[in-house]
Amino acid sequence: MSENNFRNPAYYTNRELSWILFDHRVLSEARDKGNPLFERLKFLSITASNLDEFFMVRVASLKDMVHAGYEKRDIAGMTPKEQLEALSEAIHKLVDLQYSTYNRGLVPQLLLNGLKVIRRHEDLSQEEAAFVDQYFEENVYPVLTPMAVDSSRPFPLIRNKSLNIGALVRKKGDDVLDFATVQVPSVLARIVELPQEDGVRKVILLEEVIERNIQKLFLNYEIVCAHPFRIMRNADLSIDEDEAADLLKEIEKQLKKRQRGEAIRLEVEEGIDKRLLKILRKELGIEEQNIYAIDGPLDLTFLMKMYGLDGFSHLKAPKHEPQPVPRLPAGCDIFEEIRKGDILLHHPYQTFTPVVDFIRQASVDPEVLAIKQTLYRVSGNSPIIAALAQAAENGKQVSVLVELKARFDEENNIVWAKMLEKAGCHVIYGLVGLKTHSKITLVVRREEDGIRRYVHLGTGNYNDATAKLYTDVGLLTCSETIGEDATAVFNMLSGYSEPLMWNKLSLAPLWLKNRFLYLIGREKEYAKEGRPARIVAKMNALCDPDIIEALYEASAAGVKIDLIVRGICCLKVGIPGVSENITVRSLVGTFLEHARIFYFENDEHYEIYCGSADWMPRNLERRVEILFPVEQEELKEELLHILHNQLRDTLKAQVLCADGSYERVDKRGKESFSAQEAFCEEAAALAMQSQEEEISSSRTFIPEMRHEEA
Amino acid sequence: MAIKTFAAIDVGSFELSMKIFEFAGKNSIREIDRVSQRIALGNDTYENGKISLQRMDELCRTLKEFSGIMKTYRVDDYRAYGTSAIRETENTTIVLDQIEQRTGIRLEVLSNSEQRFLDYKSVAFKGETFGKIIEDKTAIVDIGGGSIQVSLFDNDALMATQNMRLGVLRIQERLNRLNAKSGQIEGLIDEMVSAQMSIFKKLYLKDRTIKNIILVDDYLSPWVLRKSGKDASKAIAGVDEYERMMEVLRTRSQSQVAALMGIAEERVPLVFISAVILKQIAMLMGAEKIWAPGVALCDGIAYEYAEKNKLLADVHDFEKDIIACATNISKRYMGSRKRAETLESITLAIFDSMKKVHGLGKRERLYLRLAAILHDCGKYISMVNLAEDSYNIIMSTEIIGLSHMERAIVANVVRFNHSPFVYYGQLNREGTKLTEEAYLVIAKLTAILRLANSLDRSHKQKLKGIKALLKDNVLVLTVNSQEDITLERGYFNDRADLFQEVFSIQPVLKQRKQF
Repeated sequence: MSENNFRNPAYYTNRELSWILFDHRVLSEARDKGNPLFERLKFLSITASNLDEFFMVRVASLKDMVHAGYEKRDIAGMTPKEQLEALSEAIHKLVDLQYSTYNRGLVPQLLLNGLKVIRRHEDLSQEEAAFVDQYFEENVYPVLTPMAVDSSRPFPLIRNKSLNIGALVRKKGDDVLDFATVQVPSVLARIVELPQEDGVRKVILLEEVIERNIQKLFLNYEIVCAHPFRIMRNADLSIDEDEAADLLKEIEKQLKKRQRGEAIRLEVEEGIDKRLLKILRKELGIEEQNIYAIDGPLDLTFLMKMYGLDGFSHLKAPKHEPQPVPRLPAGCDIFEEIRKGDILLHHPYQTFTPVVDFIRQASVDPEVLAIKQTLYRVSGNSPIIAALAQAAENGKQVSVLVELKARFDEENNIVWAKMLEKAGCHVIYGLVGLKTHSKITLVVRREEDGIRRYVHLGTGNYNDATAKLYTDVGLLTCSETIGEDATAVFNMLSGYSEPLMWNKLSLAPLWLKNRFLYLIGREKEYAKEGRPARIVAKMNALCDPDIIEALYEASAAGVKIDLIVRGICCLKVGIPGVSENITVRSLVGTFLEHARIFYFENDEHYEIYCGSADWMPRNLERRVEILFPVEQEELKEELLHILHNQLRDTLKAQVLCADGSYERVDKRGKESFSAQEAFCEEAAALAMQSQEEEISSSRTFIPEMRHEEA
Repeated sequence: MAIKTFAAIDVGSFELSMKIFEFAGKNSIREIDRVSQRIALGNDTYENGKISLQRMDELCRTLKEFSGIMKTYRVDDYRAYGTSAIRETENTTIVLDQIEQRTGIRLEVLSNSEQRFLDYKSVAFKGETFGKIIEDKTAIVDIGGGSIQVSLFDNDALMATQNMRLGVLRIQERLNRLNAKSGQIEGLIDEMVSAQMSIFKKLYLKDRTIKNIILVDDYLSPWVLRKSGKDASKAIAGVDEYERMMEVLRTRSQSQVAALMGIAEERVPLVFISAVILKQIAMLMGAEKIWAPGVALCDGIAYEYAEKNKLLADVHDFEKDIIACATNISKRYMGSRKRAETLESITLAIFDSMKKVHGLGKRERLYLRLAAILHDCGKYISMVNLAEDSYNIIMSTEIIGLSHMERAIVANVVRFNHSPFVYYGQLNREGTKLTEEAYLVIAKLTAILRLANSLDRSHKQKLKGIKALLKDNVLVLTVNSQEDITLERGYFNDRADLFQEVFSIQPVLKQRKQF
């Protein structure tokens, strides 16, 4: 084998640009006429909220680097400045495509289907205008806070992500133009529905309603012009934990500060008055390249609300009901079932209820001594939190590691963390310097033959709401070796020393990366020996340079590698001598692909792992993550089946090409197949079958038809 | 049998650790949880003689957490032991009381020999491997924070044991004070170790080589054990393998070593010191193989508890080790083996016949045996001051498996065998810290030993095969002997006073001459 430098920057894609491609893939779902119309609205809305977060975190952090004079190149050889420039161009293109999708694709289609979106208030008919004005007086006016800027009043704080209407106003009988602004209140519905007419439903956006009535807010002024605008600020939360004596307080403080971060994006209506734009630019200190002139309504996330309008159900995908898990029918003793053998859960095709029940049953079981859990993002009103609190009240030892550093969720997390503490739980507010991303629950139970440990390990958060939308897998087990490891994990999270050795689990940031490198390297060695070697890995993002290098080496040695990467992928395919044996596909569907599954052929004794970690440096180096093997034969086959279906997908999958772009699967000669749909059907069939079995086993006799010969 | 849950807590000089065990049925010990927290109490104690306020707080906080964990598992019982860092603080009593007040945990202090004995026990409980290894000449090298203990085995019994103040933390402390350059460190440790080890060699080894070393420590063992896949019986390696590891420790940076061995970086210097100590000892002994079973004090605590509570079948005769150890001490001071044997058999005959009267148990019987074996060790120094010299020799010689208090009992019994008996008040004025209980044991054992001693006054072992029978208030000692026992009879009557005083029993000597 030739000495190839697998670290050559030319072999890598910049992660931010790769992310933009991901948002493009989501956008292509919004553009896909094969999708029901309202689902397309949803996808478009997702591209917008994705982009918002991307700005606040990634673009912001690049900005910070530029400010700090940081010149280090990324794996693709780009400096932060170069990345920002490339991004600006790519994002402008993305936004243009978003709005052409909206204006040319979706709005006309909506009209055809009986929903008229009135873009400008000037287009309202007289009756409509009257309705809108009344709506304004009754509902909107009372909550508005108009602010004018003049020599005695400074430029106000414009809140991050808020939608505002900026105006140029002139005091009556005066020549001087003043700036005035009013925030479009986020407490009111963005979509205002107007009285129906001839079976056509009509809606207008709140900012148009306000704009139309803006004169009423500035009575002593003459309105010269009024246009909506929106800003995005630097929001990456970087807390210096060594200095924060009390993490909790620090985060609360940071949350307040967040609203005052540097403005990094300004969105304005296309055709905005130049004088108004100039004021905004100057006051916000924003560069030209970060100003986005928008041909349409700002902040497309309102489309999610539009999706929620009642009716139009024929334009939405039928809602999938998570199916019962055959092994765990409602009302069963979960512990007993787990003792019979490990159980694999596949969400959202299968219901998340067993996981909630697992904790709920533990909370009232007199034999349960302790419940320990890591919580990352939890739904509001979470039944898991309630069960944990209940358990503590029942005298069980409940330890919960609450990750406060979960992006954008901090406020939410603090509230229920405090509540748990009040109930008597031992709450650990994260680890200094590390984010705890692992998803693990341990229930310690005292049984006749001694202590038995029940463990749930998952790839997704303990969040019953997102478990209906994210595809994840989970394992329930009472294996002694995993139980020992789980105990050790929680001891470590409580600050005790690492155990002598781990049986089954691999932990980041300790050994996980080495473990992956070892597993990839092992395939490489097999390939060199001419034995079958293959890797199939499914994850959300792939950007760790060490891992990619190992994959390149393995590919060069002849390992067949199939990657299913939903989001960022810095690896390039089809480089001669480097990555010819690697394929990458991305699935974007109704459900958010979230499970991490790793398959290694291991000389025909295949091993299969699940975990919470993506192949990203932040996962492997700065987070607590867990990788666990699934070892029972039937469960391994189930996981294999999941991977197999995803590799078969022709409808929702897009394939990475050698030029770095993604293309839909070439369907010629292949049947149309959607993995997510298939999983829905399979789960339903499985649930049905087990239900039938239950009925037949309880209602009929099974006569022995033959005499057993000894 | 119902399952019993037990917690063993080790307040060590470098680390606080607790293990939770389940005992289910004979010989089933299952470790279900272990936690450890680094608190370097030793640094305080060895440097200042006291535990600092801050470390005390840390210690109590951690123990309190431990107590919470014990509650979670609903443990039936626990033992918490402190070792040298606690033992060597100037204010041990205050520290212990404070810990109990603040955490509810009753911490007991292990003497060095008790602690080593527990370590040794946990090694012995590793079963077959242990049995096989000690068939050859073997040394247990137990490296602790404060000191190291080297124990020698020959013919599967313990021969000798010696404590040396060369603990890893203590050495580190000394190195810090010397402000040594990193290049010098190995040489310095070599010097410190070899100075003491060469004395050890002269005393115990002479020209013998010791083939095997059993390593007990918290620094190297975990790594060796991890390499062997947590299977203690496989954690045997040749000396050459350790040399290779030594090379790695010498040449790599701390962080590299930490990553390589899977340990925290701050532990690396301690691993290094431990490795150098081991290297020196192995060299001096000419060892070939090193077994690191990876036992911890907590295991020993659990074994001892299980043993005492009859939750375990015996795997090794530890009493035999203690006796062997005492016999070797006696030998070193030129005690008469034959006489010791006679004395032992007489004392035990008396002891056993009087169980109902003295109410003492198996352990006290062991003290008596030890006293009989060591009864004349002081004559090595002076035949006149036999009592004091014997006492001092015993008090300053380590007998593995005996606590300090137990050793004091044996030493006093030997002492009063030769010198006039002293009553409790007087004894305490002398400055010996004995409990009333211990004092009573001394009185009873002394009475028996004295009586027995009188029966072999001529040191000619005339009175072999003595029989003792208790009848009402009379203890009849029947001797089968053809020889003249006038001398013995005279001494016997003199020495019977204390015996009568202590037991209210009249000893009578009868001679049965067989014709």
